[in-house]
Amino acid sequence: MLLVRAIIRPEKRDEVLYELSTAGFHAATVLDVMGRGKQKGIKIGSIVYDEIPKVMIMMAVRDEDKDDVVSVIMRYARTGEKGAFGDGKIFVTAIDEEHTVSAAEIA
Amino acid sequence: MKEIIAIVRMNKTNATKKALVECGAAGFTATKVSGRGRLVEDATVIAARKADLMRLAETEDLLETEMLIDGFLDGTRFFPRRIFSVVAHDADVPKIVAAITKANKTSYQVGDGKIFVTPLVDAYRVRTGESGDAAI
Repeated sequence: MLLVRAIIRPEKRDEVLYELSTAGFHAATVLDVMGRGKQKGIKIGSIVYDEIPKVMIMMAVRDEDKDDVVSVIMRYARTGEKGAFGDGKIFVTAIDEEHTVSAAEIA
Repeated sequence: MKEIIAIVRMNKTNATKKALVECGAAGFTATKVSGRGRLVEDATVIAARKADLMRLAETEDLLETEMLIDGFLDGTRFFPRRIFSVVAHDADVPKIVAAITKANKTSYQVGDGKIFVTPLVDAYRVRTGESGDAAI
């Protein structure tokens, strides 16, 4: 199992989740987060915004599904054809164990 | 070192906190999140839950209530949950997972949450600068 954490634009949340669900990846956890990237935020006039609201989507996926999930997110979270600064990042980390509480046997 | 990520029901937050204290892993970080699980394939689970909810319904506007309940149970809706992140020594992981499981298991069969155990490369305590296992 792998944990995919994608940080995307808030306005893309519904579209990305819908497309993930259509592609067969239904389970997801969504968090509202704040962050900045290596562009150091946005500078408008003399004001610097370095805490930009984003949405984080967390998904536990099977190893073989990782590429599909990443490509769906990549495709629908992107702004325009080539993408723009601030479209987000996707991090993939390992999961050693996975437990479903409702299915677990209690000793 | 492992990070235990547990997604639990909102109303099980206190039970989870108590369970963590009792198994000796009092430290945690928690946030409010919304999420959904995979689609429930077993129709009888949904039917039973729907019957339970319909029994609570007012007698008027039954159709409207049924539509609302169907919307809740079709699995596309995001529900509020609490996510716990607990960092633990490798040896303590089974104990903590068992404690969280015990505190969160209900008779509903679905929606009790998930627990993920992920490897942690390093940890530091800011106050003293200790690293690795000493920092937990």
